[in-house]
Amino acid sequence: MDFLSPEGLRLDGRRALELRQLQAEVGVVEKADGSATFEMGNTKVIAVVYGPREVQNRNQQQHDQALVRCEYSMASFSTGDRRRRGKGDRRATELSLVIRQTMEAAILTNLLPRSQIDIFVQVLQADGGTRACCINAATLALADAGIPMRDIIVSCAAGYLNSTPILDLNYLEDSGGGPDLTVALFPKLNKVSLLQMDSKIPIDVFEKVMSLASEGARTVAQFIKETLMENTTQLALAKGPPKF
Amino acid sequence: MSAEEAPASASVVKDVVVSSMEVEAFRRLFPLQYIERYLDAAVRPDGRPLGRARPTDVVLGQVPTTDGSALVRLGNTTMLAGVKLELSVPSTETPDQGRIAIDFQMPPICSPHVRPGRPAEDACAINEQLSNVLASSQLVDLREFSITSGKSAWMAHLDIYCLNADGSLLDAALLASTAALMDVQIPAISINDEGKVQIINFREDQDEPMVDAEKVSETKRKVVDKRRLKLGPAPVAVTCMLYKNHLLADPTAEEEAVLHTVVIVVLDSPDNLISLYKPGGSVLATTSTVMDCIAVARLRLKEVHRILEEATKREGED
Repeated sequence: MDFLSPEGLRLDGRRALELRQLQAEVGVVEKADGSATFEMGNTKVIAVVYGPREVQNRNQQQHDQALVRCEYSMASFSTGDRRRRGKGDRRATELSLVIRQTMEAAILTNLLPRSQIDIFVQVLQADGGTRACCINAATLALADAGIPMRDIIVSCAAGYLNSTPILDLNYLEDSGGGPDLTVALFPKLNKVSLLQMDSKIPIDVFEKVMSLASEGARTVAQFIKETLMENTTQLALAKGPPKF
Repeated sequence: MSAEEAPASASVVKDVVVSSMEVEAFRRLFPLQYIERYLDAAVRPDGRPLGRARPTDVVLGQVPTTDGSALVRLGNTTMLAGVKLELSVPSTETPDQGRIAIDFQMPPICSPHVRPGRPAEDACAINEQLSNVLASSQLVDLREFSITSGKSAWMAHLDIYCLNADGSLLDAALLASTAALMDVQIPAISINDEGKVQIINFREDQDEPMVDAEKVSETKRKVVDKRRLKLGPAPVAVTCMLYKNHLLADPTAEEEAVLHTVVIVVLDSPDNLISLYKPGGSVLATTSTVMDCIAVARLRLKEVHRILEEATKREGED
């Protein structure tokens, strides 16, 4: 299948090195300590953070750091054909673990000992790149909750189709059989926290795809920073001028 | 006890502690510092150099009730994998392909940290990774499992049991899966003219197939002999642990518990990546660290391919 037209356009009209349209909203859930939605094209994810709060299960309490928990779930209507996924779903469990470990690396857990932070990530619409989208949404939600992080963590996926590196795959491209590489990194430190790839790929191609995904992630970082900045400005305006 | 005696007896006690107890106590009380001291001297607590994997042992055909099985030991980590084949109807989307179902189990016998009941989170993650790796590595061509297009195909159940979890579980599980698939012998079948497939059972004491002679004469039959599965190049997983500037290949459970940051590389030939997996962790990687891990995996790939070759040779001799 041709994923790139002779003019160099992809199935959804993007160029090979183009991200999908990004959209984010912070503070979407009233009762939560932090929440955000993040959209990459048609992929839409909502993330909610509760905490830091008292550890629910006392024997899990850690005296020197916070306990981070994460649950990933996919709405049954999120994919093309409706599929009911139970909680014991293997893919969901694996993804929850991956997101938890990634966010744990970002959170300064040693500043919040004996507490618990819950991250719930729900995929509302899935169109490829859910992993990356979940991490971006979780970052925004954590920032909204005011949880100390060493840096924001941002993520983006990239692939390799028709011998061209392609940024931010959608579902059709994702199921095109090529490699799909997800990177999550700290933009300021320029260091990779999460790296996941499952497909046969020559090593020299891997380097290209990896640098493309990192570049994409840095663009996402810029967008997330702007979103947070705007959100903070609005909060400051709502609060009114400082009283002396 | 008088005042003069006290310091003397204390030093005796200290000597005794130093001689045998202290190392073990230090190991339990300060696991990180314990390992750190070794790493500073560029060795591991079990005496290995940093980049070397533990001795690996593969034995094929350990379970006679399966169609293919393998027992793998990677240091103390032990995995038993078995493949059972059963006849099934292929799905309409892929009429000329069989199926393979993978199940990785961590029963409570394998580690004190596994609780009975619900499967552990780690087990789920390894299961998922294993399925992804096997799907993308082209180790098994699913068309090999086809019998008659659209009507019948083999369904392979690959079950991997972890008998002892001592680190680098994915490496061992993948090796056991590959070895078990190498050991698979697809049973002989007979297909009658209506397309009905029957497995022919050979009894050990007679070479004739156990099919009634009358039945054979009644209908025309096509007999397909038993055969081995044709496999692509074997994927090899290598778990690397990152700590400060050190890179440890094939960590034990003790090292995994303390050092946290892991990078798993799967290769099937020196310059073909199949999977890369770095889930978070406190040490952050640059591209060059990832390339270092790939280099370690390359060395290991050769070694594992040799081990697998020897195992099949031994199996052939028996």
